[in-house]
Amino acid sequence: MAHELSPPEQWLSLYGDVLYRYGLARVRDPELAEDLVQETFLAALKAQANYAGKASEQTWLIGILKHKMIDYFRKASRERTQEFDEQVVDEENDDCFDQQGSWKVDLSHWSKPEQSMQQDQFMQVLQQCIERLPKRMAQLFILREFDGLESEEICELMSIATMSNFWVMQSRTRVQLRHCLDINWINP
Amino acid sequence: MLTCKEASFLASKKLDKKLTLKERIDFSLHTAMCGLCKRYAKEINALHQLMKKVGKKDAIVLSESTKLSPKSRERIKQEIDKALHATE
Repeated sequence: MAHELSPPEQWLSLYGDVLYRYGLARVRDPELAEDLVQETFLAALKAQANYAGKASEQTWLIGILKHKMIDYFRKASRERTQEFDEQVVDEENDDCFDQQGSWKVDLSHWSKPEQSMQQDQFMQVLQQCIERLPKRMAQLFILREFDGLESEEICELMSIATMSNFWVMQSRTRVQLRHCLDINWINP
Repeated sequence: MLTCKEASFLASKKLDKKLTLKERIDFSLHTAMCGLCKRYAKEINALHQLMKKVGKKDAIVLSESTKLSPKSRERIKQEIDKALHATE
């Protein structure tokens, strides 16, 4: 079924907050996220004629926002230092494993994770746990897990020195996230 | 024999990249003996699958209570109006 665009005057009230949330979760900077929303609407105005109606209006707008965001990451990562990555991949900086490399945190048993994860409550806790991650780790994680970018693309886009740094950061993120879920999600 | 830390690294890497043969063997040997790592691998895999699924539907990842501030909303509205009039 083909979708149709609503009048541009209504876009802000219909999609302003959704786009803002989408952007903010990824760039982690309110001002920047606001700018991205504005740029998205302005670009959408110009591109209205190209809207083929295949995707819903919201998906179409998010697609434009995604492009704007990736442009931003590309520009920003040129000026970035690698300091944070070095800290994360530093062996000394690990609070989930002891010196022998054994688990230092509890891992409770999640019964039927596929089913219980379908619940809204789980998504809420997951969102909160992602918000608590350090900015850079959250960005890499969201780009990979939700937005489905390939590891190589992310390394290039975010100027990560080596693939192995990326994997170490992803691994740390997953351990932390899982631990946060363990503490905050009441597993049924 | 891998440590749990190394095994957890491979459990995660596996979700982003195909493991080498040696990595796969080391990982299977470890998880055959270590229930915690086996559990960990299973759960982060379930998480990964879930997020992939949610991601296909434009994952917003922030709660609905997060909204544009009235000030920025007004600014964006003005910019849209300006652009609309410019094209008329």
